[in-house]
Amino acid sequence: MYQSRATRLLRTLAGWMVVGIFFFPIYFWTSTAFRSAKDIFNWPPKIFEFTPNLRNFEQVFGVTLGLGPQVVNPGGGNFYMAPRLLDSVIVATFSTMLAILVATVAAYCLSRMQFRGRHHFVNWVLSTRMMPPVAVAIPMFFIFKQFSLLDTFTGLIIVHALMNLPLAVLLMKSFFDDIPAEIDESALIDGASRWTIFRRIVLPMAKGGIAASAVLCFIFSWTEFLFALTLTQTSIKTVPVVSSTFVTSIGTAWGNMAALGAAAMIPAFIVVLLVQRHLVRGLTMGSLKQ
Amino acid sequence: MKDDDRKRYLASVTDRFAKGQMGRRQFLKASAALGLAGLGTSMVGRPSGLFTPAYAQDTLKPSEDVMAWLRDVGKPFAGTTLKMATESTPPSNAINSQLKQYFEEATGIKVEIEVLPLEQVLQKLTLDVASSLGTYDLYYIDQSWAASFSRDVFDPREQYASNTALAMPNYNMDDFLPALVDGIAMYDDVMVGVPYDIPIFIMIYRKDIYEKYGLKAPADLPELLSNSEIITEGEGGAMYGTTGQMKSGHYSLECDWTAWLWGHGGSIFNADKKFVGNDDAGLEAMAYWDKLVKTMPAGVNGWTWDGQGQSVAQGVAASMLSWGEFFPYFDDPTQTKVSGLCDVAVPPKASSLRNVEQTGFGEIPGVGHQGGSSLAVSRNSKAPDAAWIFMQWATCADTQALITTLGGGTGPTRASVYDDPRVLGNARVGAGTTRHLNVVRETIANHMGSEPDLPEWAQLSSDTIPVGLGKYFAGGYGSAKEAMDDIAVQVEAVMKG
Repeated sequence: MYQSRATRLLRTLAGWMVVGIFFFPIYFWTSTAFRSAKDIFNWPPKIFEFTPNLRNFEQVFGVTLGLGPQVVNPGGGNFYMAPRLLDSVIVATFSTMLAILVATVAAYCLSRMQFRGRHHFVNWVLSTRMMPPVAVAIPMFFIFKQFSLLDTFTGLIIVHALMNLPLAVLLMKSFFDDIPAEIDESALIDGASRWTIFRRIVLPMAKGGIAASAVLCFIFSWTEFLFALTLTQTSIKTVPVVSSTFVTSIGTAWGNMAALGAAAMIPAFIVVLLVQRHLVRGLTMGSLKQ
Repeated sequence: MKDDDRKRYLASVTDRFAKGQMGRRQFLKASAALGLAGLGTSMVGRPSGLFTPAYAQDTLKPSEDVMAWLRDVGKPFAGTTLKMATESTPPSNAINSQLKQYFEEATGIKVEIEVLPLEQVLQKLTLDVASSLGTYDLYYIDQSWAASFSRDVFDPREQYASNTALAMPNYNMDDFLPALVDGIAMYDDVMVGVPYDIPIFIMIYRKDIYEKYGLKAPADLPELLSNSEIITEGEGGAMYGTTGQMKSGHYSLECDWTAWLWGHGGSIFNADKKFVGNDDAGLEAMAYWDKLVKTMPAGVNGWTWDGQGQSVAQGVAASMLSWGEFFPYFDDPTQTKVSGLCDVAVPPKASSLRNVEQTGFGEIPGVGHQGGSSLAVSRNSKAPDAAWIFMQWATCADTQALITTLGGGTGPTRASVYDDPRVLGNARVGAGTTRHLNVVRETIANHMGSEPDLPEWAQLSSDTIPVGLGKYFAGGYGSAKEAMDDIAVQVEAVMKG
């Protein structure tokens, strides 16, 4: 289709504008991490004119890079949050693995097996997402205390996996539904067991869907606040919870908060990059029915 | 040279060096003269601005007497782990990042401090009390929660008297400023912990701007208003006379309101325990506030104390009646544009003032609104004795002096700490200054206002009242009277449960 030069230019401009609108908050937040308090609170705000420094990162990671005027007390400062990034990585990774493991099997059963109340089961799974998390958080606290799961990795991983499970099951069910059942039937005729069909045939075909579900589970766990706040104390803390500790009685340490936030984007970004190959296919899988 | 003199000299040298009034060579020479040659040498390789507060922190250590007592009394509790939830305040941060290591080394007791924003501390403590599980051994109790937690913590006077073997020698309960004990810790004759920190409203103003317009620190509230009007008009929008913490629905808005209310002879409750913020004095305060808001920067009704402090720190406002804790931050040349330019004064005198007998629930009217907190041992703690040892150590005079010096000039709650040489040694322009503490002490003694103590206060102060006031400043009411009458109705509803 012919498009005039002006139309193409306009379309490109519109594209750049959309990218700019999405990118600007990320730029502003990340650049805040490299600003001193004076530059952060400049009035009127200076978007590009500031003297970058690594002080906020030094404090958050408890290291002295020797580029600034002050030495950071390693591991001792109030804004030393590097271990909390690791806590977040552990919780998000393992809760995603657990959720995907259970959800894959459950979704396959819901997609392929015929049993009484199958459709009700799907609705039941969905209904668990309708409950406000705050209504669950406090009972969870009591239960976890009784089972000594409070303030432990195991506890938080279980909760995050449970929280993500309904979404993962429903997503993956739609991906499995998208794979023709005839393939399973042919394999069955050839003598393959259900487990072999699932492992050797269906699972590889649903890789894209699994990747997309895993990315969503990881991001939800990475950004979850309420359970992480209620069910942890001092042993472990995730990034969203410790981010709120930059709010002090004498103001908010925006620079440090931005430094942690900028650093926290990296693991999620890496996860997306790792599964990027499957992601686009996964996100569009299940959108077309035969 | 005496140790105190040496510290003072060091502080002065450091300050001059940090402000660029002294060259590196001179600084190293002075350091060497103080016996810090090693320090000077170690810093030569660093790129610039070489002095770090880390050195000063290294020289500040707990007294040997305190450490000996800790070693002795803490031995049976070695291996215990204590947990405490606290707001991120200068004392808690100083203990958490720099001081608790001494306690842990001496006693073998591990201390885990969970630092959270204030509202999350309340949530955690409420959950702990409701569950009676004793997940926290020590409670950080904001003065507005004293009534709510009064039955859930030990009275420190009883703890001190009942277990002499664990009592810290020279702990001296009487050293706590009596006004703070009354205003922060006492509820129905129960001492809800000991005063732990004391943020309090003082007058902070830009001396250079005030001098430019031939003004002096406001002696009373009308003078604060006229000073602010003169500056706002004179600066033509480049700077405002004063600022506020007026975020709708936030506790900070209630704090500002009480200062103007008390300063105009009003009170939140009367002797019959009825809300009277809508009486004549209350409306007079609102009229004053309406005028004062016109001398504040636009957007002030979206700020808590955070934005208020930043508006002064970045040179947008010339004064604030607010938490004294901000002052050391203003003096930090690496953080603000106003280092050395601010000065402090006691709050402007009230036009008239009710006495405690005319108010309800132990409310103490005074323009110097205090927002202190206490530290207490939970009755559900699994290790109350170990927690009591920690609490005595954390609130003893020696630790408080270290907290004040390391924690950036926060106001001590003990009288003796104000005169401690280590604290006095930091009374110079620069980060963590203590040069405002005399004003803080005088404000506590003569101008302090305290909120009422009642179990519903946490809800009233953080929700009912600031939501109503926020609605008023957003234009949601036709008049101040309509707003205050509506708030009165809502307060009564909360009180009735």
